[in-house]
Amino acid sequence: MTELKKNYDGLVIGGGIAGMQAALDLAEQGYDVLLVEQEPSIGGIMVGLNKVFPTLDCSSCICTPRMAESAHNPHIRIQTYTEVKSVEPLNVGFRVKLQKKPRYVIESKCIGCSQCELVCPVDVPHEFDYGLGARRAIYIAHGNAIPQVAVLDPTYCTFCGRCEKACPASCIDYTQQPEDEEVEVAAVIITTGLHITPMERKAEYGGGKFINVMNPMAMERIQSSNGPYGRPLRPSDGKVPRRIAYVQCAGSRDRSIGVPYCSRVCCMYALKQALLLRHYIHDVDVTIYHMDIRAFGKGYEQFYRRVMQEGVRVVKGKVARINELENKDLLLRVELLDEEGRVAEERYDLVVLSQGLIPAWQGEGVLGAELDEDGFFRSISPKISPVLSSWRGVFVAGVAAGPKDIPDAIVEAGAAAMEAAIYLEATRYHERFIEPAKVH
Amino acid sequence: MSEREQPIAGPIADESAAPADGAGRSARAKRPIDILRERQGERTPEQKEYFKRQTQVRKALLEALRDAPRTIPELAARCDLPSEEVVWNVMAMRRYGKLVEDELRGDYYCYRLKEV
Repeated sequence: MTELKKNYDGLVIGGGIAGMQAALDLAEQGYDVLLVEQEPSIGGIMVGLNKVFPTLDCSSCICTPRMAESAHNPHIRIQTYTEVKSVEPLNVGFRVKLQKKPRYVIESKCIGCSQCELVCPVDVPHEFDYGLGARRAIYIAHGNAIPQVAVLDPTYCTFCGRCEKACPASCIDYTQQPEDEEVEVAAVIITTGLHITPMERKAEYGGGKFINVMNPMAMERIQSSNGPYGRPLRPSDGKVPRRIAYVQCAGSRDRSIGVPYCSRVCCMYALKQALLLRHYIHDVDVTIYHMDIRAFGKGYEQFYRRVMQEGVRVVKGKVARINELENKDLLLRVELLDEEGRVAEERYDLVVLSQGLIPAWQGEGVLGAELDEDGFFRSISPKISPVLSSWRGVFVAGVAAGPKDIPDAIVEAGAAAMEAAIYLEATRYHERFIEPAKVH
Repeated sequence: MSEREQPIAGPIADESAAPADGAGRSARAKRPIDILRERQGERTPEQKEYFKRQTQVRKALLEALRDAPRTIPELAARCDLPSEEVVWNVMAMRRYGKLVEDELRGDYYCYRLKEV
């Protein structure tokens, strides 16, 4: 394996769309960037989405060229399946400790042929499909993965040795162990993205126990042509769903679960998914129950109107409870706000909870940049330069800084790269301005 | 540097090259897969049950599909399995080329064995 270059101008933590954009924008100015991603592939959430709102462009068709561009840029080194263990401020720059998890596959030799995956005898719920589809114990993360390199999950390995025998490139290495690396970087950009609020916190909606109550990311995968089912079906019995409900604010604007803020994307992804369901299943009845629809971006209001024109029911109502019936249908108890609070009960085949966004990473013991009350990284200048963290030389972009949609995350990543470039020039040419790394 | 490049590891030993008296196995270098097995530990009863159950379910589904395409509820009834488990296994088998989707019957698609 190629040795890591020990010094970089920029470290980007997180290889989703914001991280790739920040890395590219720095690299295209000639800075050397290390892009670290903890998963086996870069691409983040976006590469798993079906289509993007409001244009309904194919999400991976936008994301994969960015992935390839990042991989081929001579100023970017991508380290996948790697965790950042510590970021220690130096007088100038940071000392960063990394740990690469063992893939049990020699990256430089793997040709991505999937022969190991095809002979592996164990199927495992695939994280990329939110458990609805399967992968093997040794697998390539997904069809668009970069790098196209297999990874062995030892938890499910039966030690049969078939993958090693099938590999035409002799790249299986069962003896790999975690590898520690230490690098020095001048600036850090945090683009660690999001998790969705856990269903377990919403006991009134089944607390994650009802199989036909889905999270919106799983619905993205189900709608994707390369998804687990190849078409929208319900997970309990493979039925083509004829009645589907979306429950808005099912994990945002909710103090009871510690998420008082609006997640900013749920209204739009629900509208988008509902419209696409109308395209995929011609006689489907889709209803969105909401407190209010927030369609604030460019072209979003027009998209909202189009969705209603194409037959999606958008109902102002608060879903109080979901009960699971014997055949795994779902009974929703709804307070209809436009009918003077009348309580109705409606039966559905499938329910999607529009869960909110929470930060995927908060620097836990690795990097002490301050957090806001909502758990996202705090900006010291939220109006003028929202990408500045409380650590000099550390910048934050995308959902790591707060909930936002893809265009906003990309714009913010560009801004973070620009601020980082300004900082790099200052540290490179005007060292008298440099202060200890902790305070802006 | 991985242990594969150290003398203790090396490629899988050729069984045919083992000494005729059978005494050579412990003296030979450990196979890389044995190193992984040692580090991961023996499989737990839950892991073993997972592997066993998957094998049993797959066998039952293949048997049930041998004569005709069937829907998920039909397969679940025929194999006496929970339908959600049938969905997951059928989709896994579809992904890896054992089954293909067939006609729509009511609200359910049928699945059939892939012709080789």
